[in-house]
Amino acid sequence: MLRRTSAASLLLLASCALGRQDVNEPIDGAALRAFQPGATKAAEVVAALGAPTEVVQLGRRSAYRYDATRTKSSALFLGVINFGNQDARQDRVWLFFDDKDVLLHYGATLSTHRTQYALPWEDVHEPEDHAARDAKRAESGR
Amino acid sequence: MLLALPACVTGSYDRVRLQEPVAEADLAGLAPGRSSLGECLQRLGAPWRVVEYDVDVDGNAGAALLWTWRDAAGWGIEVQYGDENLSGSVSYDAVTAEQPACMLWFDHLLVLQRWRFGTAGDLLPRRQRPAPFAAAAGA
Repeated sequence: MLRRTSAASLLLLASCALGRQDVNEPIDGAALRAFQPGATKAAEVVAALGAPTEVVQLGRRSAYRYDATRTKSSALFLGVINFGNQDARQDRVWLFFDDKDVLLHYGATLSTHRTQYALPWEDVHEPEDHAARDAKRAESGR
Repeated sequence: MLLALPACVTGSYDRVRLQEPVAEADLAGLAPGRSSLGECLQRLGAPWRVVEYDVDVDGNAGAALLWTWRDAAGWGIEVQYGDENLSGSVSYDAVTAEQPACMLWFDHLLVLQRWRFGTAGDLLPRRQRPAPFAAAAGA
């Protein structure tokens, strides 16, 4: 009887929560593909992507960072014990310029679309998961 | 005395997954002394942080690039207690551990010198003030 009452109380107390937080707009992959190392100037990058999140001096060179972060949080509350999961992925681009502000190299990681709601014991970010989400993003042209 | 206070104890199991990890295998094709910055960026994507490295008096500098990630899970416990006059909470979070990271160093020609795995706290320099050569040249 006591066990049944405890189980019922636990169900009454159970609840869950989901939350999503976005910082900055996802980066436009199509805009990145237009950049040409050796030709594109820093001013053109800023015109296309807006103000960078950070500018780092590298001697006479410089590097610009653009990023966007998506965080998905989920929680399961069972009274005296709770389970929580937080998954965060970024779109991130670093562009390296020479002393004349001409693009030398850039590196991009576009992953905000891979963020998932999950519970802590669930496996996420499997390759097939990523492939499906990447394809969807590619279709959208971003 | 403490036991007499009305208290609420909750346990939690939390997992935090941040960013994409860099594995040793990802670095397999890179060669110190030969691989360019562009090649490394192509293979590893964008780093989390970039810092100035090895600046000389003429303003030539290398760069150090850091990738960091986290997939950690652990138990935590929170104790809350209090009445109208005294309240507070104590918590312990086992998930908060140092974040794994990988740093790559590039010379003045932006050619890969070396890499190292560790934690972000160990690999990132404590101070990241830009080199003063420009101010000195202008003075």
